[in-house]
Amino acid sequence: MRLNRRQAVTLMGGTAAAAATALAAPAIANTPLVVGALRFTSHAGTFTAFERGYFAEAGLDVELRFFDAAQPMAVAIASGDVDYAVTAMTGGLISLANRGAVRVIGGALQEEPGVTGQKFLVSDAAFQDGVTSTAALDGRRFAISQAGSSFHYMGSKMAAAENITLNYTPLQSVGNIISSLRSGQVDGWAIVPHIALALGGSGAVHIIGDVADYLPNYQVTTVFTSTANANDEREMTENFLGAFSRGVDDFNAAMVDSALGDGGRDEMVRLIHNYVYTDREYDAAAPSIINGSMRLTPGAALNLASLQDQFDWFKSEDLIDQDIAFETVVDTSYVETI
Amino acid sequence: MTEIQTDLPKQPVPFRGGGFRPRPIRFVGLAVFIVLIALIEWGVRAGWISNLTLPRPSDVLATFGELYRTGALWDHLSISLSRLVVGSAIGVSAGIGLGILIGLFSLIRAGLVPLVAAIFPIPKIALLPLFVIWFGIDEGSKYALIALGTFTPTVVATYGAVENVDRTLIRMGQSFGLSWLSIVRKIVLPGAMPGILSGLRISLAIGIILLVAAEMLGATHGVGAYILQAGSLYDLERLFAGVTILSVLGVTVSFLIGQVEKHLLDWRV
Repeated sequence: MRLNRRQAVTLMGGTAAAAATALAAPAIANTPLVVGALRFTSHAGTFTAFERGYFAEAGLDVELRFFDAAQPMAVAIASGDVDYAVTAMTGGLISLANRGAVRVIGGALQEEPGVTGQKFLVSDAAFQDGVTSTAALDGRRFAISQAGSSFHYMGSKMAAAENITLNYTPLQSVGNIISSLRSGQVDGWAIVPHIALALGGSGAVHIIGDVADYLPNYQVTTVFTSTANANDEREMTENFLGAFSRGVDDFNAAMVDSALGDGGRDEMVRLIHNYVYTDREYDAAAPSIINGSMRLTPGAALNLASLQDQFDWFKSEDLIDQDIAFETVVDTSYVETI
Repeated sequence: MTEIQTDLPKQPVPFRGGGFRPRPIRFVGLAVFIVLIALIEWGVRAGWISNLTLPRPSDVLATFGELYRTGALWDHLSISLSRLVVGSAIGVSAGIGLGILIGLFSLIRAGLVPLVAAIFPIPKIALLPLFVIWFGIDEGSKYALIALGTFTPTVVATYGAVENVDRTLIRMGQSFGLSWLSIVRKIVLPGAMPGILSGLRISLAIGIILLVAAEMLGATHGVGAYILQAGSLYDLERLFAGVTILSVLGVTVSFLIGQVEKHLLDWRV
């Protein structure tokens, strides 16, 4: 496009005017934001806030960007391609926080006694071989995506409690783990309930225990953002967390507390189905979505005890630098702490 | 007209031969490395390269030293080397054997060249989960991946090299009454050797690349597993230390092939 001088001046004037309006009325102006998400039910807080317009009401013009795994999301935040995201506190996330790139500002998915949570699974071959309880996994292959992933943490905590050793087998992706588990190449795994129950129903895999028995208040995922957003964009970050928490409350009421009856639940399932299991018919997807509904922490509150435990575990496994401080990673100034 | 030519002063003809022949110049390669690394070190220290983008080379060196001191270097390297050696030995020997057969026999050529062309572009990494089922999650699947990855480029390079052997030499051998086997042994194989060896450079480099892929599934030790773990932990120092090991491995392999070339191809003028 070629501009002559007059057009250029008009354009500059227009831009300046737009900028002036934006500055004059920050509450009304829509701040463009990119929010990272995985196509998991555990990201329903983001989906609900987006679909029901809570982000828009908070003055945020949100664009959702989808990822295949937690790790790339943390890197995308560090590179500035994504502003906010929800995922597990992985070793990579802590390393990026140590480099001054990202910070954890809130909590999301959590284990809660009484709510169906993450499960320990074994392959059929191992089950037939007598591995019918978690303690019997001693010396067996336990699937993890990577060292420092949440699977590694859950396996390690269970092994410590049962006083057994596990042979951790990195398989990179959930897809690889599932196929290896089905074919009996690995023996054990721990995973969110909608995947666990679907696999358990197939007969190729058996459920032998609950993660909540070993980690009763485990905060599985956290809300995080770039250090720049956490430190310098307070208002925007508060607005985001406010809108996100409204989505979380709707989700908990409909799916976890069943406070809205079947109608409310189905409405929520339909909303989530726009993002999760989109390749399946609604009727096939609904049970998985309902099964996969674990509580999202209200108000995005941070469970410091759980996060501190995860943090100490990373250090004890020598997965992160010994001299990183917990405060470098977690910013407790935004939400309540438990 | 002839008179004018004889009157011209005799001009000495300068020697115009030579050149077009690579000659070794020492330390230039080393100097390029040093300048590049010094530039990165300075950039990260001064801050115009963010510590998110690149690690400090001195930190990478420290990580490397730590690997060496704790003995972890040998843990990772020995297991990766054995995977590379076994896998590529299978792939390369099968590849050279089949390549020579394709080059020599038209029937085999007609039957197998389309098959090789069909296998070549398959990303071997995509087959890794399948190999795990076929060969088990332990060493078998890793050998198979590296073997298949080095096999196809070796076949293509070998039969190409056999085809490019100078036909006039073969005809000469025939007119001297050499037997078929003698021609293959004394003319075809030596004549194909430069092409086979340069193909080997590519196949073995692919083998090193596939080492990382092979260690994606079920490996806790090995340079590839180390790099993948460092990547997922966003530990740039370890990541670069691992990548450096692979680079050194590549340079070493290339050097070894160079030595083999010197030895086997000293008949070349």
